[in-house]
Amino acid sequence: MAWTWFHKLASPPHVYRVAGRLTPWLAWPAALLIGAGLIGGLVLAPPDYQQGDGYRILYVHAPSAWMSLMVYTTMAVAAAIGLIWRMKVAHAVAASCAPIGASFTFAALVTGSLWGAPMWGTYWQWDPRLTSELILLFLYLGYMGLRSAFEEVQRADRVSAVLAIVGVVNVPIIHYSVIWWNSLHQAPSVMRLGEPTMPLPMLVPLLMMLLGFTLFFGALLLVRLRGEVLSRERAASWISAAVRP
Amino acid sequence: MSAFLDMGGYAAYVWPAYAVTLAVIALNIVWARRLLKRSRKDALQRLAIGGSDQ
Amino acid sequence: MSALSAARLMLARDLKLAFRKRSQLVQPLAFFAIVTTLFPLGVSPELTRLKPMAAGVVWAAALLSSLLALELLFRDDAQDGTLEQYALCGRSLTWLLAAKTAAHWLLTGLPLALMAPLAGLALGAPAAAVPGIVASVAVGTVALSLIGAIGAALTLGIRRSGALLSLLTLPLEIPVLIFGARATELAIDGTAYGAPLQLLAALAVLGLTLAPLAASAAVRINLE
Repeated sequence: MAWTWFHKLASPPHVYRVAGRLTPWLAWPAALLIGAGLIGGLVLAPPDYQQGDGYRILYVHAPSAWMSLMVYTTMAVAAAIGLIWRMKVAHAVAASCAPIGASFTFAALVTGSLWGAPMWGTYWQWDPRLTSELILLFLYLGYMGLRSAFEEVQRADRVSAVLAIVGVVNVPIIHYSVIWWNSLHQAPSVMRLGEPTMPLPMLVPLLMMLLGFTLFFGALLLVRLRGEVLSRERAASWISAAVRP
Repeated sequence: MSAFLDMGGYAAYVWPAYAVTLAVIALNIVWARRLLKRSRKDALQRLAIGGSDQ
Repeated sequence: MSALSAARLMLARDLKLAFRKRSQLVQPLAFFAIVTTLFPLGVSPELTRLKPMAAGVVWAAALLSSLLALELLFRDDAQDGTLEQYALCGRSLTWLLAAKTAAHWLLTGLPLALMAPLAGLALGAPAAAVPGIVASVAVGTVALSLIGAIGAALTLGIRRSGALLSLLTLPLEIPVLIFGARATELAIDGTAYGAPLQLLAALAVLGLTLAPLAASAAVRINLE
């Protein structure tokens, strides 16, 4: 009994069906939360006493930065599960994560640069947070490059899984070494994230955006996962029942 | 309304940041749906060609 | 035969083979020298301007040279099937790959550590900085060889893997660059460089324990 859910989780037809049914349950709350968070962040939240309305970039920068790290971690965990238990579905999850994570890392970089621009007077500063995001983007690009270098999906899955695990061990080391490096050169950081004293009207839209982006990731992952599962199942007979309208 | 669009003088930074993020969200939706559609088409083609071959 | 003595034989074999192809051995070192020469020509011949960036230049050049030699780490053995024999021979592949990585360090890391002070002196570092530069590059290249071995193992089955190998490996090597360049910089300034050197050594030890495992996993997958 205890293991049936695990075997069901690993079975592609089941995953395909459940993922399809689950998608709207994540997508609609995500849309509502992001919509409400946008209104809250752009209209209802008061301007910051120091940064005026410029700080409102927080509401898109922080969730993007959160996505970039959360998606990478998800990818590495899925890759490890796929590698250890030889689970095809887990590899399909890892494959689905990479483009999503890379695109939000890009968004975090651009919004971070736009946030800093009026404070720094330039569009780029070697701020520790932005530098870490840039390196994370390289890690994503390397992962996707390695994956696309193999013709055979099974091999691409397993080789890139090793890279994802090595990468996730390295991410904290990179993060702290970059902070250490930056503290020597004292580039000022204007980005105040997760400040405990943030007043409620400012904090609530941020939490809505964070949750909304997370649910959005879940919905995207499910859609992509169905595609990846289909393309990994060459010969399975369930496909005809699942795909034919 | 124009005060809202002006964003306290930060319009040139706030609006592009929101535009880029929303564009990334929209592109992700398009990419994910395209991936699923293409995999479905490929799967149907494989079925049409040989039933259950490689 | 124990895993250790098999690893020692592997190390001896790799060194012997490498010394038969001396030109291949010298290439990363010549590359290191050329990259360092680019900076005075590209920036300024004044030592007062070069000295502040000497540590960064030495380390960027060391990273690239170590990377250049990586493509050869497993290539010949993979092409003639030797690597497959190693994987099947019943000895621990992890130890054998650790030995190959040690050979890579002895053939590129150690010579780079001996050459780096020359580059440092040419860029305005004082003679008193030489021990610090040698120590930091010697320790740092251990970590570089180990991280690089993972990259080389991952891209084993890919033809023309050079650009991909650098895209995979360089971001992972950034902590080594940060601590290494800092230790060298402090040595050039004539102050205590112990703290970053210890952090660099910690990275090397961490690499020593984990990298051969990851590399052997990647080699096995690529040979399947």
